[in-house]
Amino acid sequence: MQTTFEKQLPLETKPVNAARQWIWMGFLIGLLIVGAYAIVTRAVEGLAVTNLSSTTPWGAWIAFYIFFVGLSAGAFLLSTMIYVFGMKNLEKIGREALLTAFLSMILALTFVLLDIGQMGRFWHALVYFNPTSILAYEVRFYTIYMLLLLVELYFAMRPDLVRTAQADNGIRSTIARLASLGSRDLSEAAMERDHKWLKVLGIVGIPIAIFGVHGGTGALFAVVKAHHYWNSAVFPIIFVVSALVSGTALLMALYIIRQKVIGKKPDISMVQGLATIMVGFLMVDWGLQFYEILISVYSRNPHALETFEIMFFGPMWWTFWIVQLLLGAIVPIFLFFKYKHSVKAMLAAAVMVVVGILAVRFNIVVPTQLIPPFESMPGSYYMPNALEIMASAGVISLGLLLYTLGVKYLPVDMSKEQLELLERGE
Amino acid sequence: MGYQEIKESLSRKELFKRGITNAQEFAAELSSIDNSDGPKWVMVIDLQKCIGCSACTVACKAENRTPPGISYNIVMKEEHGQFPNVSKVNIPRPCMQCDKPACGEVCPVKATYKMDNGIVAIDYDRCIGCRYCMVACPYGARSYDFGESYEGEMLGFDELQANEYGIAKGKRQKGSNPIGLARKCTFCYHRLQRGEEPACVETCVGDARYFGDINDPNSVVSKMLNTNAARVYRLREYMSTQPRVYYLK
Repeated sequence: MQTTFEKQLPLETKPVNAARQWIWMGFLIGLLIVGAYAIVTRAVEGLAVTNLSSTTPWGAWIAFYIFFVGLSAGAFLLSTMIYVFGMKNLEKIGREALLTAFLSMILALTFVLLDIGQMGRFWHALVYFNPTSILAYEVRFYTIYMLLLLVELYFAMRPDLVRTAQADNGIRSTIARLASLGSRDLSEAAMERDHKWLKVLGIVGIPIAIFGVHGGTGALFAVVKAHHYWNSAVFPIIFVVSALVSGTALLMALYIIRQKVIGKKPDISMVQGLATIMVGFLMVDWGLQFYEILISVYSRNPHALETFEIMFFGPMWWTFWIVQLLLGAIVPIFLFFKYKHSVKAMLAAAVMVVVGILAVRFNIVVPTQLIPPFESMPGSYYMPNALEIMASAGVISLGLLLYTLGVKYLPVDMSKEQLELLERGE
Repeated sequence: MGYQEIKESLSRKELFKRGITNAQEFAAELSSIDNSDGPKWVMVIDLQKCIGCSACTVACKAENRTPPGISYNIVMKEEHGQFPNVSKVNIPRPCMQCDKPACGEVCPVKATYKMDNGIVAIDYDRCIGCRYCMVACPYGARSYDFGESYEGEMLGFDELQANEYGIAKGKRQKGSNPIGLARKCTFCYHRLQRGEEPACVETCVGDARYFGDINDPNSVVSKMLNTNAARVYRLREYMSTQPRVYYLK
């Protein structure tokens, strides 16, 4: 039995360096403890322990929330390129895309939970409904979307879940047996059915992700007429495009890092494929943002002009010029055109793009709120305090921990058999 | 038949005929009747009379026992023009009680809603504290209750909370309403229920604030708005929120 199991180990990679793995897990658990302290403090003391105020009611946690919703929508849309539009060269990361999309949603909603005033009332958002509230629709879209992701993840992993369940591989097999929901069918017909389901769910999911989940999150801001900077029709579109940018970049980074960890050479043609998608969307994103800024400036709306003044020349000017523009766009585009063949350069580009989009999210949420509604009202200043950062680090490390456990115990990588089937199909 | 007529015409005998035997059922019956011809409260503020003393802000804080950092009413002091042609204007700003409230539109759980009497209310039992309404209000009229207290400088502050919306709230303590929720001016709804004016109106030193029923053509506010039509304006009318606080410039 042992020998057959060896054969069925996905990708036949060398085992992950145990010491390094423990250091990584220890690091995550350490952050988790720090985060747990911050979250418990916040739960007991309320939002008074944050730097939020009545003048700046939304801060870092809301920025992280839209950041992770964006990552999720982007990762999911990338998965539809595989399962709906048949981009076979990307199929290796299809499951990873779905897993990332699901976990990102968990993180996004955790951030929202932290942010609402009375956390115990989170269920009100599902029970009560206001037909004019974008947020009310969003809550429902998020729920449907996460269920859809789970079902898709099941169909994407099913053949390998069945294989792992049949192998005698300790806890992995036990998990696979439970997760396969009793399915034992490895016939061609069954796999075709899986793909059909993936396609159908992907097609249903595309409008949900574009218009519901992330376009809707953009609309949540865009309908607020009190903030001129948000109040534009192109805003939801920018949200979707930057979601595609960050989702692709994150998957690219995760793929490269994990291939290195399991001691395999990353598939350079796939990395380049992902990089092309990322840079393409990145350029569209900046084109749209340019027009957004241009139109706002031409409107001469004092509120909008002040927002840009804060964004471009305020105390946090570097988040726009250095993080968002230089590291988040110019350097990655340069790397793409100059060092396309270097996996390391592509990894650096991907990480920089993800960080750049995080700055985009902060600059969406914070600067416009720093301007008081009336000139004669006191303004405010907002920077996340240590506790907010600790809690955020804790939530993110929870996500990374779930991801690490996910790729360790679930067949997120395609088994050798599946890869062979994939190649034969081409 | 309108609300008032039904209320008056309902004799004890008729109530029994309808099978209504107790006060609670009677109240339920009354509230099921359309109240659209009941009073619709508005406020009129004469800026020529406002001296900017902020007595309204103080009275509001005392009446509603708002915690540190929350003031339902403020007086904005604006300076216009360039030297030597300058003028100063004081603009008191309570909640505008908009007919199309941006805050109520965005509330995901419908905790904020427009009452028939024109007041925009917050249901403290439903609000989750997401603060979307605060971001959406063009007038900065909403505050979040961070749970702060004056207990350190004012003994007994936490012992009693104002009975906003006519609902007794008891002690101010962690985890109880409205801590962790959005708050705002209620036009002193609890005072209206007792037949009193809002605290800011009652206290105004220069008699700059007026309050009344705009559905009643003979009310002071209706007459003021009619006779001073050229002076009437509302804050940020271009936002189409249709505020129910009128200013006379």
